[in-house]
Amino acid sequence: MTLNTAATSAIPADPGPKVRLPQKMRNLELFLLLVACGINASAVVLVQLGALGEIDTTLLFLGVTLSVLVIALHFVLRFVARDADPFILPIATLLNGLGIAMIYRIDIAVQDSGWESAAVRQTAWSALAIASAITVLLIIRNHRVLFRYTYIFGFLGVLLLLLPLVPGLGKEISGARVWISVGSFATFQPGEIAKIALAVFFAGYLVRNRDSLAMVGKKFLGMRFPRLRDLGPILVVWALSMSVIIFQRDLGTALLYFGLFLVMLYLATARISWVILGVGLFLGGAVLASQTLEYVNGRFTNWLDALNPAVYEARGGSFQLVQGLFGLAKGGLLGTGLGQGRPEITPVPQSDYIIASLGEELGLAGLFAILALYLLLVARGFRIGFAGQDDFGKLLAVGLAFVIALQCFIVIGGVTRVIPLTGLTTPFLAAGGSSLIANWIIVALLLRLSDTVRNQPRLVV
Amino acid sequence: MSPSELTLLVLRLGFLLLLWLFIFGIVYALRSDLFGQRVRKMKTDAPATPVPAAAFAAASAAPAAAPAPARAAATPTPPSSVGERATAQNATRLVITSGPKAGVEFPLTTESITIGRSNDSSLVIRDDYTSTHHARLMLWNEEWMIQDLDSTNGTFLAGSRVAIPTPVPLNATIKIGATSFELRR
Repeated sequence: MTLNTAATSAIPADPGPKVRLPQKMRNLELFLLLVACGINASAVVLVQLGALGEIDTTLLFLGVTLSVLVIALHFVLRFVARDADPFILPIATLLNGLGIAMIYRIDIAVQDSGWESAAVRQTAWSALAIASAITVLLIIRNHRVLFRYTYIFGFLGVLLLLLPLVPGLGKEISGARVWISVGSFATFQPGEIAKIALAVFFAGYLVRNRDSLAMVGKKFLGMRFPRLRDLGPILVVWALSMSVIIFQRDLGTALLYFGLFLVMLYLATARISWVILGVGLFLGGAVLASQTLEYVNGRFTNWLDALNPAVYEARGGSFQLVQGLFGLAKGGLLGTGLGQGRPEITPVPQSDYIIASLGEELGLAGLFAILALYLLLVARGFRIGFAGQDDFGKLLAVGLAFVIALQCFIVIGGVTRVIPLTGLTTPFLAAGGSSLIANWIIVALLLRLSDTVRNQPRLVV
Repeated sequence: MSPSELTLLVLRLGFLLLLWLFIFGIVYALRSDLFGQRVRKMKTDAPATPVPAAAFAAASAAPAAAPAPARAAATPTPPSSVGERATAQNATRLVITSGPKAGVEFPLTTESITIGRSNDSSLVIRDDYTSTHHARLMLWNEEWMIQDLDSTNGTFLAGSRVAIPTPVPLNATIKIGATSFELRR
């Protein structure tokens, strides 16, 4: 079953009307989507069997809401993006559903129910997120529209990023000032949406200006380094990331934006010297920050010396990190089984530490399955970029996919003690509305891009 | 009624199995991405299949468009009118001059054209000699350029192998695998 096989036999008789083929890709998507919904439902059933010993009607709400929503999105695709990639939606659905099941499991452990329950709120946020994905698909019929508004998106991105610093609007939660509160009810992390706006801006900016960034400069050590006056953009983004570290006290977000810019710059210019310069700048800044800023220093100590009892016992010490590692160790190869572990012992097991919770209950086998899902999702994004015809679409697709990849690396690397722990959300899995909305919009944009890529004149010899 | 230990164990392993089955299902559906497009066997010595002429030849009233596949493939000498470069203004179509689909035309827009065996190429050529992503025709400063994407068997412009992005003259033969084509007015 090769995709598009029907196209090989049909030669477009004339370039005008395209031969419409049966929606093979959409049917494949529907099949995978139903399987994903089935897995999500069985995850909730297993949680209930493991933690409660019986099945009750919460299942209906948690399982059915998400399924109905994603199938609605699928039917929207049948009309507005019939050639879109068939794998992205099922993968995102499965990740979202696994997250809800795990959050529900934590709810059971801490005995939250009703609107207090994080799983109910997560389901509501999922509904909002998928609705925004549908809106994006309906409004943006061609991704090149975004190219027209490059600088507006850049402005919007920076504005969203700085919004939490506005007095009265911004809100500080566990040290980081990255939230805004809307009334007293909901908090929102505008930085999550900012990453999409910045990806659009970087793509548009680099397509317009890459010649001067790619062609000129002095050769040194076999690499061509850029001229001093071309260093402007990288220094601006660097300063932006450093200000996030200093004023918002959020290491992860800074790393995410800077990494995104660096990768897109490398893609646009194919010059390794930009990467070396950028990594050097960031490492320099981070080392400087770890010397001067107390919270960054603490993160480094917790990372390097996690199992030291003094650090473990200290206030703001490595208790959370080590507890997460204990959970992962308890999980072993096959896990304790959904609903049968003790993930609630770790602080914030449903958001930052959801990977440790899943690792405890699904084991190494389950954790690797989740990582494989991310890998496939990101690979699809790269693939869309690779097959793209226009440079803006290429850069945007790879940038959006890379944001997901880098965010996974930062969070999961932090939890598993590969890099210092920083607070970012695990895409699709972790409890948190802004992150869900941002990631579903990324899914919508990737679907739109993949539709445009395939929907071009073709001739098969 | 609480489920027994054994039931939970079986369900737990079953769930992990289901997860991995889903992943391998996707990977199976993606296999042409990982291992390249399958090669279609072509009858090499048979004469080129007659093209459903009515549809394609209508636009090409010029006598040059008449398919002469065997000779065109054997003699890569460029046609006499070579010299003028193909630009966005003067080139309007891509004409296949030899190979199984000789005579077929493809309209040129301002979009670049990817050529290769993969399904997402604009011009899909499925034979033993074409790489999955073989070459690319694109507009640089309004001029059509051909770029070889590090293909195994190379791209030939008027008989010489393309190493760097090269401007394409009008009516010059570009040869990829067993297929050659030209950019025409």
